[in-house]
Amino acid sequence: MTDATTIDPITLEVIRYGLISATNQIDANIKRTAFSPYIYEYNDFAVGLTDMDGRLVAQCTGGMPPFVADSVGTAVRDGLLIYGRDRLHYGDVVVCNHAAVQGQHLNNTVMYTPIVANPDGSGPLIGFFAINVHWIDIGGTMTHSNDIFMEGLQLRSVKMWSKGEPIEEVYRIIENNTRLPAELMGDIQAQLAGCFLGRDLVAALAQRYGLPTFHEAVRLILDQAEAAARAHILALPDGVYEHETWLDNDGEGDEPVPIKVRVVIEGDEMTVDYTGIADQAKGSINSGYHGGGLTTARVAFRYLVAPDEPANEGLFRPLKLILPQGKILSADPTAPMANYPMPFPTVIDAVIKALEKALPERVTGGHFATHSGFRLYGRRADGRIFNGHDSGHGGWGACATHDGAGPFRTMAHGDTRLIPLELQERLLPFRIESFSLRPDSGGPGKFRGGMGFEKRYRILEPCLLHTNLDRTNHPAWGVLGGKEARPGSVFVEKPNGVRIPMNKARGDMLDAGDLVILETGGGGGYGPPEARDLALIQRDVDEGYVSLAAAKQDYSVLSDEGGRLTRP
Amino acid sequence: MSYAVAVDIGGTFTDLVGYDHVNRRVVYTKSATTYGDFVAGILDCFAKAGLTPEQANSLNHGTTLVINAFIQRRGAKAALVTTKGFRDLLEIARANRPDPFDLHYRRDEPLIPRSLRLEVAERIDTNGAVVEPLDVEALEEIAAQLRRLEVESVAVFFMNSFANPAHEELAAARLRELLPDVYITHSTDLTREWYEYERTSTAAANAYVGPQVARYVRQLETDMKDRGFSGSLFMMGSNGGLLSVERTCRQPVALVESGPIGGCIGAGAYAEALGFKNLVAFDMGGTTAKCALVENGRFNVESIYYAGGYVQGFPIKSPVIDIVEVGSGGGSVAWLDPLNRLHVGPRSAGSTPGPVCYGRGGVEATVTDANLVLGRLNADRFLGGELKLDTEGARRAIAALAEPLGYAGESGMLRMADGVLSLATIIMAGAIRQVSVEHGLDPRDFVLFSYGGGGPLHAAALARELSIPVVVIPPAPGNFSAVGMLLADARIDLSTTFTGVLSEGVMAAVQSAFGKMESEAAASLQKEFGAQEVFFERYVEMRYLGQRHNIKVPAMDVGDLAAIRSAFEHDYKRRYGHADAKNPAELQALHLTALARQRRPDLASLPQIGGPGDGPSSRRIYFGDANGFLNADVYERSALAPGFCANGPAVIEEYGSTTLVGPHDRFEIGPLREIRIHCSTKRETI
Repeated sequence: MTDATTIDPITLEVIRYGLISATNQIDANIKRTAFSPYIYEYNDFAVGLTDMDGRLVAQCTGGMPPFVADSVGTAVRDGLLIYGRDRLHYGDVVVCNHAAVQGQHLNNTVMYTPIVANPDGSGPLIGFFAINVHWIDIGGTMTHSNDIFMEGLQLRSVKMWSKGEPIEEVYRIIENNTRLPAELMGDIQAQLAGCFLGRDLVAALAQRYGLPTFHEAVRLILDQAEAAARAHILALPDGVYEHETWLDNDGEGDEPVPIKVRVVIEGDEMTVDYTGIADQAKGSINSGYHGGGLTTARVAFRYLVAPDEPANEGLFRPLKLILPQGKILSADPTAPMANYPMPFPTVIDAVIKALEKALPERVTGGHFATHSGFRLYGRRADGRIFNGHDSGHGGWGACATHDGAGPFRTMAHGDTRLIPLELQERLLPFRIESFSLRPDSGGPGKFRGGMGFEKRYRILEPCLLHTNLDRTNHPAWGVLGGKEARPGSVFVEKPNGVRIPMNKARGDMLDAGDLVILETGGGGGYGPPEARDLALIQRDVDEGYVSLAAAKQDYSVLSDEGGRLTRP
Repeated sequence: MSYAVAVDIGGTFTDLVGYDHVNRRVVYTKSATTYGDFVAGILDCFAKAGLTPEQANSLNHGTTLVINAFIQRRGAKAALVTTKGFRDLLEIARANRPDPFDLHYRRDEPLIPRSLRLEVAERIDTNGAVVEPLDVEALEEIAAQLRRLEVESVAVFFMNSFANPAHEELAAARLRELLPDVYITHSTDLTREWYEYERTSTAAANAYVGPQVARYVRQLETDMKDRGFSGSLFMMGSNGGLLSVERTCRQPVALVESGPIGGCIGAGAYAEALGFKNLVAFDMGGTTAKCALVENGRFNVESIYYAGGYVQGFPIKSPVIDIVEVGSGGGSVAWLDPLNRLHVGPRSAGSTPGPVCYGRGGVEATVTDANLVLGRLNADRFLGGELKLDTEGARRAIAALAEPLGYAGESGMLRMADGVLSLATIIMAGAIRQVSVEHGLDPRDFVLFSYGGGGPLHAAALARELSIPVVVIPPAPGNFSAVGMLLADARIDLSTTFTGVLSEGVMAAVQSAFGKMESEAAASLQKEFGAQEVFFERYVEMRYLGQRHNIKVPAMDVGDLAAIRSAFEHDYKRRYGHADAKNPAELQALHLTALARQRRPDLASLPQIGGPGDGPSSRRIYFGDANGFLNADVYERSALAPGFCANGPAVIEEYGSTTLVGPHDRFEIGPLREIRIHCSTKRETI
């Protein structure tokens, strides 16, 4: 917009609310019409609007945190490179899940359609309405992979619709390359309907206020977000901040995987430097530059610096990334990526930890930070196949004002609810013997870290176990003097009393009568334990969050016969 | 002369409506809510209305007591007795973080602390078989411990009790014997659907409010009887029906949305009487706006409610009318963020200090202030003239907000006030879109039915934003919640988890499960309301085999498999755009609604009717699309008879509410003296 149209601040706000409301309306519609629980239960999708250059303008407020990093815009920009604006028409629908573009597991598929100025399909291109959905199955191996080609079907900026007509050949390719065609085609239908409805809502808004005003509003919305982000960063002390930790392994070998981050605050810009992070791994914990590096940096930035700002391209302008090619977060597009988000919680947390001195009011102790995937599968006596995913939720770190919370899922998850035990017992051959908070698992501190849980499964029929629990050697750290938490573990206890560790089980056989004990890690403490209010220590002991022995050791308290604690 | 009386106790006012069925006479009164002694406020209303408690043959009562106890954490010292190994379910919850980018997020503390959650050995499996018998003897030690801890109430919850409640019932009965003065409740007395966290949370919530509600209701009953009341006292349930005193004391969580429910019931009754197939009930008060859908005269009842909201709060499995609430009311504050971006709400100035124009010390501009400076409210007639509004204060506050944005002088101040209202409209429209979109419906197919103090003032602008063609304002919109309570039926909702493939084979079991629920409900309604005739509505929750999303469809005739299947496919198609005729469907839950009709007032006799008056006066009102003030006719509502019609701009005033008709709109008075605004497609603002 060279001839800057003036726009009054109220119209700008009305358009801003209108755009966010459009994406939220499509969000609700997708949840209502989707088939698979990935969408309506795990919120594994995102709805966004980009401008005509593929820059993210507005995104729905819910959804999965890793999608906040403009996963939809990346796909649109690839489509623009391949087709150019001239060959993207009203009524076209393009899909993309390619590792060289998004750089995540191939299930994450962006679908988008051009928006033009007039509802009848005439007029110039004004943007794209895009939706990223976790496709429930796109073929590929069910267990582990050595490269991306083992992981399923890749679609690089492929048109599914052209000028308002579906391309049946493309539908046939997709339908015949999935194990769950009915579910996937149902979800695609919901995704498609969302794209079209979103397109029409945005076009109606643009028509109502006129194109010059609409474009000017979009420009201002991005600029204001940028200004807000810069103002937040400017308030931080300049400096170079670092943290290094290690994952236990990449799921293949037994070597620790270094996660070293460096953050530079300089004026109103923030640079995240991943130069020290592990090289591309043999195991499938890799992701691409955009889907891994940029995504984790942006998620950390949003958590720490700008949690209340709506996500758009302007917000991330002052955030720079240094990331050489060939790292686990900038892997080659052929690298295995099935388990791509595995390092994310640790990477995000390491960025937060690095900034503990710069942002003491915002940072939190580390969280348990492992997906701790847990899957029991097999065949029932009557031949039915079962496949039950459960997951570990752990403690979150304490902060400047209160104890850590949880158990929750990781920082790479959003509003993901655990599956009710009563439902699991109906569907799967085990009985839960107990499900409880883990006393002493939270890191001590002025504010204590949140607790993990302990869950005991009594196996009732033979089955196979798959687990993915990490961060046992380097559990959640404390910040600003807070102490580290206890890590998680998986054990199988045989009827004869033998306990076998199974943190990374890959289809290990279990028998009826076995007991599987899943313990998840806690969160780290905040501030020195000596600074903890005695009343809070007393409360923790009285409620059983902290054992008396641990209280004596971690907080140096004494106890009288009545259980009253004192400081010497 | 005897009256049916409804009393709605709200945060600020206690509203009373009395109706004399013989003479078809209605009385409305309002009185300040008397905290500490609610009965005093009720009696004050009786006196103002010229009624005595002897004249009331029934008293329907709605209260925010339960929800306030949860939100202000003013409930009983409650304990939980649960299956060994599961006392932390209440605290672990569903382990989700509804606010993904809040690094410091934490859920509200559980209602029952860990040290008051005790375990007992017992276990039932998913099919209801006993794996480990209940250790009845251990209950004695538990009871002794509870006595030492001086708990006032106990919730009993056991794993899988939805499949077999025997252990829970046994434990509750034994604890009642051991602790005769303690309030005891168990989960399966409240819900028979599965999901352990939701069930234990429901039992805990019931124990938390049980002693307080039982005390309040019994006290109210006694106080009213002492003053000569010999009729029946009924409480308003969140399901939109009346509850007996006995049931209220047993299941107080059923009162969680007792307050706002009246308006929805009223909206349903008017929809039926006026022949509106679909409407959106829209209620705007001081701090929030609420909306609910009414389809074919029925409001949608959900079986889960989050007290304190989904983000921070806890679930209650109890039938509750599906109401969506947004933080946009008359008291919503308009403010600028550090980048000078304008926001409206969700923070509210409430009733104290309230909007600047109340003159009670409020300094931040609110929606009500914006309405006042634009001439939409009459400064001398607010609440019938009980509160004189400070127009100058409101103008100063709006001007202070306008200045940093470059809106200067008088015209800038007016433009700003108009902008505040536009933004509030967009936010409220978002709530209505949400509730419609989630049900796969288009708001354009609905009538906007608006009440509450602020609803009639904003309804026309809201309808234009949503392209809704018709707005309806019922009589007495400021007292409408109490009116609705007079229109309620006795109602019991029961549901149970039931899994099985939809086929001839399982229908006998379905029939028998419904039969059991029906005799239980009919016996209760007979006992509690003396109901001779009970109507049943049956619904089944189902899905295609292996899917996860359930759809609730009517199943009036359980024997008619084809009809159930076709109702399912019809709804499925509406939701997903297609249906699969070959795929088998499976049942997930059965829901029963049992209704006993109560005598309803004649809607035609509800409006206040006054003399013809002197005809309209006029007032200058600012309209955004006219870019300035227009002369609007000002009508006294009670003077307008059915059939009257006129063009906007116009204002219709009455006690407790003001209706605004836009410059291009037209309004008429309908057969029940409701105001009908036919909205133009032209926009009023911007």
